[in-house]
Amino acid sequence: MIDKMEGLGAAMVKVALDAAALRHQAIAQNIANLHSPGYVPLGVSFEASLAAVQRGQAPAAPELVAQLDKAPGPRPQDADMEMVALAQNTIHYQALIKGIGTQLAILGVVANGGGK
Amino acid sequence: MNYLQAFAISASGMAVEKARVDLTAVNIANAQSTRSADGAGVRPMRLVSGAKGGPDFAGLLGSFPGLPASVAAGSAASLQGAEIVSVAALATPPRLVYEPGHPDADEKGFVAYPGINPLAEMVNLLTAVRAYEANVAALSAAKTMALRTLNMGG
Amino acid sequence: MVTEPVSFIPALREPGLDPLAGAQGAQGAGDFGAWLSQALGKVNQDLARADQGLQSLATGEAQNLHQVMISLEEARLGVQLLVQVRNRLLDSYQEILRMQV
Repeated sequence: MIDKMEGLGAAMVKVALDAAALRHQAIAQNIANLHSPGYVPLGVSFEASLAAVQRGQAPAAPELVAQLDKAPGPRPQDADMEMVALAQNTIHYQALIKGIGTQLAILGVVANGGGK
Repeated sequence: MNYLQAFAISASGMAVEKARVDLTAVNIANAQSTRSADGAGVRPMRLVSGAKGGPDFAGLLGSFPGLPASVAAGSAASLQGAEIVSVAALATPPRLVYEPGHPDADEKGFVAYPGINPLAEMVNLLTAVRAYEANVAALSAAKTMALRTLNMGG
Repeated sequence: MVTEPVSFIPALREPGLDPLAGAQGAQGAGDFGAWLSQALGKVNQDLARADQGLQSLATGEAQNLHQVMISLEEARLGVQLLVQVRNRLLDSYQEILRMQV
C-alpha cells in the first residue's frame, strides 16, 4: 500500500539505487584488475530500466556492460580515473539514499498523524 | 547480487597488489645477488594477475571488427575481483661486470649480476602501491555506503 | 406585533469589545479558511516539486544537489506543519463538542 503512495520519483530512485550499487561492484572489479592483462573495464547501463519505470512498467534490472571505448589490458594509469568514478558514484548513491529516506519520512509523518 | 561481494572484490585486489609489492621488494633485495637457489641465476620476477570469474571478452574482442561502445557483460554475480595467475621470471640477460677477484667470477673474470633494473622496479612498486590504495578507497567507499544505507529512514 | 426600535436610545454595544470585532470575527474565519486552502495548495506544490527533484536525481539530470535536498526538506516540513494544524483543529473541535451548553 505504501509503495503506491510513494510516487514516480521514489520508483525511479529505487532503480537508480540498484544501478549505483551495481556500478560500485563494476568499479571495484575494475580497480582490482588494474594490472590484469586483457581485462576489459566494466560499466553499468540502466537507461532502459528508467524509461520502463517512467512508462509505469516494471523495470528490468540494470546490467553490466563492457566499456569497449577503453583499451583492455593492464592500465595502471587509470587508477586515478577509477577513483574519480568511485567518488562520484559513492556521493550519488548517498544522495539517492538521503532523497528516498526523506520521501519515506514524509509518508511517515502522514501515517503517524504527526505523533512520534 | 550479494551486497558483501563488493568487499570481497576489493579484498582480492588488495591481496594481489600486496603480493606484487612483496615480489618487487624481493627483486630489489636481490639486485646484487649472484647466486640463486636453483643455480640458474637470479632474474627479475613479475606477478601475473588476472580477473577472477567475471565475463571473458578475449574471444569477443577478437571475433568482431567493429564493436559498439558497450556490450552486455552478463550477471553481476560473476564479479569476483582479481587473483594471482602466476609468478614468472623475466628472461633478461644478466649484467656482466668485470671483477676477477669475485668468488662467482667466471673464467674470464666477469660476474653475472641479475638484470634487475632498480628504476623499473621502483616504477612497479609505485604503481602497485597506488593500485593498492585505490582498492582501499573502494573498500572504504563500500563501507560508507552500506553504513549510510543502514541509517536511512526516519 | 412589530416593535419599532426606539430611535432616541442609541443602539446597545457589547461592552469592552471593539466595534469592529464582530466584522473581524467573520472575516477572521474567512481568512483562516483561505489560509488553510492556500497552505494545502502550497504543500501539494512542494510535494510535486520534491518528486520532480527525486526524478531528476535518479536520471542524473539534477543541476545541483542542494536544490533537490532543500525541496525535499521543505515538503517534509510543510506536511508536518499541516498535520500539526490538523491535529490542533481536531483537538479544539473535540473540546468544543465536550462543552456543556
